[in-house]
Amino acid sequence: MWKYLIEKEFRQFFRDPMLPRIVIVFPLLMMLVFPFAANMEVKDINLVVVDSDRTDISAELIEKCTGSGYFRLKAVCDDPREAQEMMDRNAVDAILTIGQGFSRSVATGEDVPVGIKVNTVNGTKGSISSQYLSDCIMLFMRQFSVSGPSVASAQASVLQSASAPVIDAAPKYYYNAYMDYKVFMVPALMVIAVTMVTGFFPALNIVGEKEAGTIEQMNVSPVSKTAFIVCKMIPYWVITFFMLGMCLLIAWLVFGYVCRGSLWGIVLFTVLHIMVTAGLGLLISSYSENAQQAMFIMMFFVLIFMLMSGVFTPVSSMPAWARAITYANPLRYYADAMRAIFLKGSSVAELWYDAAGLLTIGAAVLFWAVRSYRKTS
Amino acid sequence: MNAIEIHDICKSYGRVRALSGVSLEVKEGEIFGLIGPDGAGKTTLFRILTTLLLADSGSASVAGLDVVKDYAGIRRIIGYMPGRFSLYQDLSVKENLEFFATVFGTTVEENYDVIRDIYSQIEPFRDRRAGALSGGMKQKLALCCALVHKPSVLFLDEPTTGVDAVSRRDFWNMLARIKASGVTVFVSTPYMDEASLCDRVALIMRGGIIDSGTPSKIESEYPYALYAVKGTPMYPLLKYLRTADGVLSCFSFGSVHHLAVDPSAAGVGEARQKILSDIVSAGFRDCDVQEIRPGIEDCFMYLAGRSRQN
Repeated sequence: MWKYLIEKEFRQFFRDPMLPRIVIVFPLLMMLVFPFAANMEVKDINLVVVDSDRTDISAELIEKCTGSGYFRLKAVCDDPREAQEMMDRNAVDAILTIGQGFSRSVATGEDVPVGIKVNTVNGTKGSISSQYLSDCIMLFMRQFSVSGPSVASAQASVLQSASAPVIDAAPKYYYNAYMDYKVFMVPALMVIAVTMVTGFFPALNIVGEKEAGTIEQMNVSPVSKTAFIVCKMIPYWVITFFMLGMCLLIAWLVFGYVCRGSLWGIVLFTVLHIMVTAGLGLLISSYSENAQQAMFIMMFFVLIFMLMSGVFTPVSSMPAWARAITYANPLRYYADAMRAIFLKGSSVAELWYDAAGLLTIGAAVLFWAVRSYRKTS
Repeated sequence: MNAIEIHDICKSYGRVRALSGVSLEVKEGEIFGLIGPDGAGKTTLFRILTTLLLADSGSASVAGLDVVKDYAGIRRIIGYMPGRFSLYQDLSVKENLEFFATVFGTTVEENYDVIRDIYSQIEPFRDRRAGALSGGMKQKLALCCALVHKPSVLFLDEPTTGVDAVSRRDFWNMLARIKASGVTVFVSTPYMDEASLCDRVALIMRGGIIDSGTPSKIESEYPYALYAVKGTPMYPLLKYLRTADGVLSCFSFGSVHHLAVDPSAAGVGEARQKILSDIVSAGFRDCDVQEIRPGIEDCFMYLAGRSRQN
């Protein structure tokens, strides 16, 4: 009987005009489009330089910045007001001011009169621009100190004083400058794809049976509710793993990223995560009467899960109360585990914390779901 | 043993009382009709008997099995066809049938003789998806699916609602054959004219049974003399008759009005003559008055009116 129930689900799935296509197109879109689109790398920052020094050394600094590939030099002017006016017009994103006596200060090791101004209407872009600029200046200083041994000691002190305030942030953006942002996004996008499919499909499927009235026929049959639900879930597990496989394959073929950790770890955490989202889907479908309700409630949860999971913004930068909420978010554990396995090659034992989190939430949700689904009202 | 026994079942949805103290007995191997208008509580009673709904109070059993305690046993031996078409529209005729056979732990081949009569009519379309069938064929398929596991009691909730007259007749012929194979049929319908096709009926209104028994017993208990009155124009005639002397009730039945008068007041012939002369002198044209035997609908109107007064 189980075999036939599962067979029926597959038949219905493949007969649906949309679902099989979505399962193919969705991961393709996720993996081929979003890593480029959901990119936080900032490029083509429009830069204006106010060069009051006008020496070879200041010219070299300007070249260093534009040579990094992140900046587009709009103009070099003498008047700071002119540069400010350009920023007001939104013509430039950043102003680099090189003060008078820059070359002399570099040589003697005095405080270097360099100023950075950025447009932070787009906060992310602004802060990253400013970071890139100061990275460029620091790089320039370091090179200068190597190339000019006569002032080596002076340079060292300049370097130290310049690098001191950015010790915390520097490694983060430093890697970002050379490494690809896509690397971070690829496992996160897999997480999102899995969550969407396992969360929405089962919920809509059961509500669909309610809408069609077929659940009534199933309820008067001797089929147990466990059999009914498990047979509904199994096809979606198969589909999810098919999708996950597709994602991993695309990551390898297109981006050349290979999972550093064991694939079994990924499978294990995916199974745990499916338990949570599918359980939630069931829970929602047993409380909603039609697809619209189920869709909206699921959407509500999935959005919160995604925004508060650390997929897009790190959990550590959230305020304490928001961080507390993330402990109840299954996506937090799953995304963390997937990134750790995929990027760092962590073992399951090292991620026991994430596994425990998923298990706890999953058990609670499933327990509630099975209790709430009744054949008799 | 009775196929279905219902004792004093009550069910409320919030403050709405759907069933108030329903008691019935359905004998084995009969076609029992539950007849009443929309909202009378028919579907609620069906859902309680098919173990989909729990009653607030009272008890019921199907084939000797309690609907609460032995619900699992009941689910194995009943067939249920809800009022709304509820098969998988995206599965084919054959797949639906096989699916429901499997769900009830049997195969189509094993019980083919039960459904052969009906299935043979839709077999030419066995690879068509259920959603693409015509209304009459959907109904036949649903009946096949409800019968495929050889149930001992078949529950049909308004099977003929929204079905054309020819298909309705077909359907009742099928029910007669199903009954002949030994299955108890419990069927609900809002159409009073279908009562005569049942062995026994119960009339239900506002969650209460107002009468039950064989259709002829119910008809024979109608206490008044009944006349079919015709005349032009129709509606003013109805209004006129309702206010006329000695008229107990008057209802419009298609092209005629059914007029009830107290039989003891005058001789049969006299009463007919009196009505005729009354309406002719009142200025109505094309008048005709015939004495008729009461149908179930007349009885229902009478009983409903009486229970409303109580």
